[in-house]
Amino acid sequence: MVNTHMAQRSWGFWINRGIIHALLIAAALFYLLPLVVMLLTSFKTMGDIRAGNLISLPAEFVIEPWIKAWSSACTGVKCEGVGSYFFNSVQIVVPAVLISTAVGAINGYVLTKWRFRGSELFFGLLLFGCFIPFQVVLLPMAQTLGWLGLANTTAGLVLVHVAYGVAFTTLFFRNFYVNIPSELVKAAQLDGAGFFRIFWRILLPISGPIIVVTIIWQTTQIWNDFLFGVVYGSGDTQPITVALNNLVNTSTGIKEYNVHMAAAIIAGLPTLLVYVLAGKYFVRGLTAGSVKG
Amino acid sequence: MAALEIDNVRKVFGSKTEVLKGINISIENGEFLILVGPSGCGKSTLMNSIAGLEDITDGRILIGGKDVSGSSPKDRDIAMVFQSYALYPSMNVRDNIAFGLEMRKVPKEDRLKEVDRVAKMLQIEHLLDRKPSQLSGGQRQRVAMGRALARKPKIYLFDEPLSNLDAKLRVEMRTEIKKLHQNLGTTIVYVTHDQIEAMTLADRIAVMKDGIVQQFGTPQEIYDEPANIFVAGFMGSPAMNFIPAPIQKEQDQLVAKVTTADGRTYSLPLGQRGAALKDYEGRQVILGVRPERISEVNITEVEREDVVVVRAKTEIVEPTGPDTLIHIDLNGVEVGCRVAPDSAVKAGEEMDFMVDLSKAVFFDSETEARI
Repeated sequence: MVNTHMAQRSWGFWINRGIIHALLIAAALFYLLPLVVMLLTSFKTMGDIRAGNLISLPAEFVIEPWIKAWSSACTGVKCEGVGSYFFNSVQIVVPAVLISTAVGAINGYVLTKWRFRGSELFFGLLLFGCFIPFQVVLLPMAQTLGWLGLANTTAGLVLVHVAYGVAFTTLFFRNFYVNIPSELVKAAQLDGAGFFRIFWRILLPISGPIIVVTIIWQTTQIWNDFLFGVVYGSGDTQPITVALNNLVNTSTGIKEYNVHMAAAIIAGLPTLLVYVLAGKYFVRGLTAGSVKG
Repeated sequence: MAALEIDNVRKVFGSKTEVLKGINISIENGEFLILVGPSGCGKSTLMNSIAGLEDITDGRILIGGKDVSGSSPKDRDIAMVFQSYALYPSMNVRDNIAFGLEMRKVPKEDRLKEVDRVAKMLQIEHLLDRKPSQLSGGQRQRVAMGRALARKPKIYLFDEPLSNLDAKLRVEMRTEIKKLHQNLGTTIVYVTHDQIEAMTLADRIAVMKDGIVQQFGTPQEIYDEPANIFVAGFMGSPAMNFIPAPIQKEQDQLVAKVTTADGRTYSLPLGQRGAALKDYEGRQVILGVRPERISEVNITEVEREDVVVVRAKTEIVEPTGPDTLIHIDLNGVEVGCRVAPDSAVKAGEEMDFMVDLSKAVFFDSETEARI
């Protein structure tokens, strides 16, 4: 049956299919190209880079650029690589993501299941937070961090990212919880559960998809942040994005493209990993609620 | 002592929208109360107020003689079955049923015992380890009832529990609920917009409209002696016929006059009801006759004084199986008649109908209240 069907399909069908596939493959290659160039370059020697072209395979396969990028490349006056900054970033990202996600979840829960007078207005105002450009908050935030005694500290950067991220995380959780029937909460109330018990026992266990979405979103945003990192962090607390910038812009000596590429990949690796591991949940979470579970 | 007393309860949303306009209802222990009415009549709001999920603006709610108007839902000793069942999606059936007990700090052993008892009663023992998403609609319904039963509360609240089921299952579960009520003797408040559910299940019915209880009584009272046109029209299917008819005096007796489409006029004797209609002589009233009271001519009953034979042209003939619904024209309005299928004629033909006035009711055409 299937075969006769296939045979019956016209030439036009197969030509169309061919064109579509060719276009898709070309698009995929185009988007993969930068990554391929980076990877290839990071494993080449400097001589190789100068002699060959961008997409040629390494004549000699070396991992020294990676080691140098991690532990001894110069980022400004210090020459210790980007390794320590990588952990700076981790120290900023982990608490900032966890706190902003938790706050967003509670906010979303309150805004949908425990509405109060003016809660819609509150949510509307909170949404403005999603549209405020980073640059606008730079000066007032610097002032605030100064008052709090958190200037140039990791805790300060965490606070900035939490404050900025809560608008997004609240939006995510609010839109997820608004589709959960409120009768669940009423039933739990009648069963004798209180505010936090209902959240913990009833809502949180079914929030998996939206938690994944929020964590991916926040991790990406905070890990990739450069502006807040360069303004509010200094020296020992700077995130890897700032270190990468310093490494590439250090003007003494020759430009070691292989080291730069290795450092850039190191800086991008965690977000890449998050997408690879949780990407399918991301897509699932974004469409959750649009169809009945 | 009244199991539930609703004393002049008012509920105002915002500053203007008055949803409940002074509700008074009282039921005894073990009674099955049904709140029925069209959507927007306030029945669900009243139910939520009883549950404590919504605050009331004015009045009192007493459960077992205790004023609970200000108490939180969990302190009212009630359980509720929701229209959407509201089963906790992340818990299996056992945990769903036991959750309320757990919140009330019942020891684990007792919880499991109670779950087993309820599961046995509802025949859901084989489902205990499943998640709600793995259950069919009817099974979810049973689990939702099980969750309510496990706590043995003073009052059970059912909020349109059957409206998400298909027609066949709905009838089955209706019987099941009735059986459960008879066996357990529990006090139940049940909200529905389905008048058949109301008639079949209730000990007492409160028919509501626009935030007012239109009538509160037993199903038979409500069916036979509806307080007004709204109640009469809402309860019963097919609906009661409302025929505007002038009241006249003929041979010292009051009669209601009806005319068929082709001009034949009949006098319907009012009999003993005439006394109440004395003041309406020469005026128009609305005569209410249920379709089953207009049937084919039946030799044994046709001799009765309160029975009149009317000949009329049939307009629409709708067979339903057990009987056939025929529409005729009386005083310019369409009137439904319920006849035995064998005696039904074809649409357009004439037929003799026997109008039984023993259960006829009369309404004031202005106030729409029963006379």
